[in-house]
Amino acid sequence: MTATRSSLTALALALATTVAIGCGGSSDGDQASAGKQGGSITIAQGSQPDSLDPALAYTSNSWEPLWLVYTPPLTYRRAEGAEGAELIPGAATALPNVSADGRTYSFKIRKGLKYSDGSPVAADDFEHAVKRVLNLESGGTYLFEGIEGATQYIEAGDAEGDIGGITADDRTGEVTIELTAADGGFSNVLATTFAGLVPADTPFENMTKDPPPGVGPYAIVKSVPNREFVMEKVPGFDIPDIPKGNVDTITTEIVKSASRQAQDVIAGDLDYMQDAPPNDLAAEIKARHSDRYKEWPTLSVNYFFLNQALPPFDDKQVREAVNVAIDSTAIARILGGRLSGTCSLVPTGIPGHAELDPCPFGDPNGPGDKAKAEQMIKDAGATGEKVTVYANNDPTRPEIGQYYTALLNDIGLDADLKVIDGAVYFSTIGNQKTKAQTGLASWYADFPHPSTFLQQVDGTTIQPTNNGNYGNVDDPQINKEIAALLPEPDLQAVANRWSALDERVVEESYIAPYGSEELTTFLSDRMDFENCSTVHPLYGNDYSSFCLK
Amino acid sequence: MALAFGVLFVVLVLGALVAPLWASTVADRDPNRTNETGKIEVDGRQVDVVSLEGVPIGPQWRGEYFLGADANGRDVMVRLLYGARNSLLIGLAAALLTTILATIVGLVAGYFGRWVDAVARSTLDVIWAFPVILLGVALGTSLAVGGLQIGPFELEAGSMAISILVIAVVYVPYMARPIRGEVLALREREFVEAARAQGAGPLRTMVGELLPNLTSTIIVFAPLMVANAILLEAALSFLGVGVVPPDPSWGNMIDAGVDKLVTAPHLAIAPGLMLVLTVLALNVFGDGVRDAFDPRSSAAWGTRRP
Amino acid sequence: MTGFVARRLAQMVVVLFAVSVLTFLIFNVIPNGDPASRMAGKSPTESQVEAIRAEWGFDESLPVQYVKTMEQVLGGSAISYFTQLNVREEIVRGLPRTLSLAIGAAILWMTMGIALGLLGALRAGRVSDRLLTFVALAGVSLPVFWLGALMAHYLGFKLGWFPNGGYVPLTEDPLDWAYHLVLPCTALAILFIGFYSRVLRSSVLDTMGEDFVRTAHAKGLSERQVLLRHVLRNSLIPIVTLWGLDFGAVVAGGAILTETVFDLQGVGQYAAESVGQLDVPPVLAVTLFGAFFIVVLNTIVDIAYAALDPRIRVT
Repeated sequence: MTATRSSLTALALALATTVAIGCGGSSDGDQASAGKQGGSITIAQGSQPDSLDPALAYTSNSWEPLWLVYTPPLTYRRAEGAEGAELIPGAATALPNVSADGRTYSFKIRKGLKYSDGSPVAADDFEHAVKRVLNLESGGTYLFEGIEGATQYIEAGDAEGDIGGITADDRTGEVTIELTAADGGFSNVLATTFAGLVPADTPFENMTKDPPPGVGPYAIVKSVPNREFVMEKVPGFDIPDIPKGNVDTITTEIVKSASRQAQDVIAGDLDYMQDAPPNDLAAEIKARHSDRYKEWPTLSVNYFFLNQALPPFDDKQVREAVNVAIDSTAIARILGGRLSGTCSLVPTGIPGHAELDPCPFGDPNGPGDKAKAEQMIKDAGATGEKVTVYANNDPTRPEIGQYYTALLNDIGLDADLKVIDGAVYFSTIGNQKTKAQTGLASWYADFPHPSTFLQQVDGTTIQPTNNGNYGNVDDPQINKEIAALLPEPDLQAVANRWSALDERVVEESYIAPYGSEELTTFLSDRMDFENCSTVHPLYGNDYSSFCLK
Repeated sequence: MALAFGVLFVVLVLGALVAPLWASTVADRDPNRTNETGKIEVDGRQVDVVSLEGVPIGPQWRGEYFLGADANGRDVMVRLLYGARNSLLIGLAAALLTTILATIVGLVAGYFGRWVDAVARSTLDVIWAFPVILLGVALGTSLAVGGLQIGPFELEAGSMAISILVIAVVYVPYMARPIRGEVLALREREFVEAARAQGAGPLRTMVGELLPNLTSTIIVFAPLMVANAILLEAALSFLGVGVVPPDPSWGNMIDAGVDKLVTAPHLAIAPGLMLVLTVLALNVFGDGVRDAFDPRSSAAWGTRRP
Repeated sequence: MTGFVARRLAQMVVVLFAVSVLTFLIFNVIPNGDPASRMAGKSPTESQVEAIRAEWGFDESLPVQYVKTMEQVLGGSAISYFTQLNVREEIVRGLPRTLSLAIGAAILWMTMGIALGLLGALRAGRVSDRLLTFVALAGVSLPVFWLGALMAHYLGFKLGWFPNGGYVPLTEDPLDWAYHLVLPCTALAILFIGFYSRVLRSSVLDTMGEDFVRTAHAKGLSERQVLLRHVLRNSLIPIVTLWGLDFGAVVAGGAILTETVFDLQGVGQYAAESVGQLDVPPVLAVTLFGAFFIVVLNTIVDIAYAALDPRIRVT
């Protein structure tokens, strides 16, 4: 998913035996240890989550809280690092049974499961949750379109219609899903908040102002959009391997300024901030409050998109020149040091990451070669070409935009910068009419799979509006291979074919990556930082681990 | 005293004009060229211009990085001077445009009266009713993506012309009303009657007879208009419209600086002080001008509402 | 007199209509992307975007769109393109904050302005007067967003004497409410204090030369009595009218900068944020509300003036 504001979740994709990602934190990787019970805390986010309705929510702002409110049939282990990427049963009794041809998934809903308002969970509720995602035209629709009858349901336009491919037996609690084609990653879809169970009478509308009850350690009891929302611990919640939470009440306030958030956490008026503290205060925090602050790497990629549908980036040499020139250490300073250089699209630690040593464009953590890049631009005959750089106005983004603009000017292009408000940024650069040549972008995995990254350069995803393939990359070789690899059930077996794709992206300079951002955890004095702060690789700071001293 | 401040203002303008010279000779830094990873020598040691944690160095009080660096490693003093060019250019141009428009509207409305006056006053009322900053931000934002095309004229988004236009229009009522009042008063005087008796048409009367008598009012208003224009430009740049980064303007430098007051206060304080000094100079100078030309005029403070 | 009032009221309606049309045009005529696709969120299909377009009337002609949007705004049912929040509710929520700021600042600048202006007039021509003039001009020259930011940081965060921005509703805790308003009101007031003190000073000096003042002196009243009973009362007229206009302007939009810097989340800040997101309904609503405020206050001032000075009624 794309980052909203500067708060992002980390997604450590290391399945089973692959390399464990070094994560910060003193926790030994086990699930959040039960700490002191009770109390209430106030936390802050920099902007209103896109939605508090599980069918619609699709950003890290919203997933961080909603993960604890709506448990899907499957979920991820509540642990740090590699362990956190392991799929475990959530509302289901066990991981699904998958048929030999990979097209049928079946699982059983746990008996006696109840929603936060006490009403019982029925097997039918799963289909209702999926119907809401489809009917409300959610951004997560594409994840469920592979289910038999899903496209017919959408076309029929009847909310109460039936999705042929999902059948449920309320007596046994068994749910069976038929897919139109095998999809190796479908289990991950069953673990997204989109699949979070909600009561069958939940209306077909955006329920942000009054979120429906769910199954989870916490429930949202109050929601005032753009101001705050309140989560309370659900007393009867009991699913093995999902922590029940320590704190009783969590109030999330929307505080736009990261500076104020940081100041409030320092002073103790806030207990946690989702955004990273601005450099200004980070220095002070690291010096004087390091006992309640940590930074951790994420599985993400920050890059400059290069629109190949327009000059000058339709020329490979120009694209290469940009990659050669980029100095990620300069950008690292703008990010207060919270950046580690990258060479390719798929981040380290995800199967399918191409380990390119040396990186064809020079050391990703070293300075760029502006002189060489300037020559390359000259050779390509692109000197003096006008370029408009796009950036949004979230913290640090305008400065990165200014760095990039100055860089392009230094290597011989004629660049200027446009800073667009964060709320309309992605739809602006995603609109072909804007003719955005280049600009800032980033991607955090929706789930542990290289496809979520390579989809950014998949030609079949290009759209006239709300385009996610900002570079308009359309490489038949890549398109074909992605289509062939998606149905594969065993990721490990085909990991090297994914890496080959990642390598091709680098060879063709389809994007200009500059690094992977690190995120932060900063808690107030009253919180028990040492024992009660778990960072989940996919969902970020785990609120159910928070506890007071 | 007023004269002293007038001189100060002129000095500031000259300083702004000299900006490129400073940049190339004294500081050897370009206003927009970034330098995050650069180092300079301080007390014999090599020091990062921007630390690894993203903290820029403070004022060095000599040649390069005289007033320190910003988060992108650029020279604050150089940007201050270039910002002065942008801010002053927009301020002066807008004030000039306001004066021209206001004089025309005031003259025409006051001279012709009746429905012409009614239309003019309604238009002024509409402009006046618009929350100023909202109008500026609205126009600036709308134009941010697309730019503007009026017939053969095309304004690129982010160009200074948009700022100048918006600021100029916003202040027209402020000046047009008093001018109109003056014209109303002068219209009944003998020399106007005489001119008309001699067969002078409206244009001749307005330009030949009325306009010269308005000069004192205009002169009294001018410095005030420039001061207001500069302040409004800073406000718009602060809100993200107007002069957009990487181009410097005092307003957008303050905007970038207020988030870094803990480690780098010079980023916000320097442009702010420059702004205050410039506007103050204009205000004191304008006050002196008013005293000289028309001590009893309350026009400069816009008290009368005819 | 009634004719005059009627004319002014009619004018008011015309002006408000013009303002609404202009605001609407600014966002819809100037090319700025497709609002329907912006609202559709991530990865929608063309049909989804079409559906939104039909619902909001984007595919209809401009006049129809205008009428549809205005219906919603005036009827109180307008919702934001993005957050889906009801615009009227948001304005109602932000209004007490903006008003608290405006009224607090207004009281401050009036009292300080009158005091300093009077002082200046009494000591006209002397060194202290020149000094006051200079201070007043300095006050007018300070950009409020810069001053506010510095005050919030140094007096708020660094020294901790005052809260570092934010707002506490009056109903929740009156003392905390006032405490949070000290810095913002002061920052906003400083801008006007200088201005008003100068106006009052001129006005007092003008009045002191009038006949009725000489008469009062001749009648044997003391300097003080003359000042307070006659001069001040008469010199206040232009001040009060000015005050009405400025207060209207502050509520309508002048408070935007102060609200943003101190994060008061009033109407002005709401509008500024919405504009940045090209979110038309809130901007339209707030602009109209602001224009309404300004126009109403202007009209009241006009009528008051006409009541006092018959010559003006003819215009």
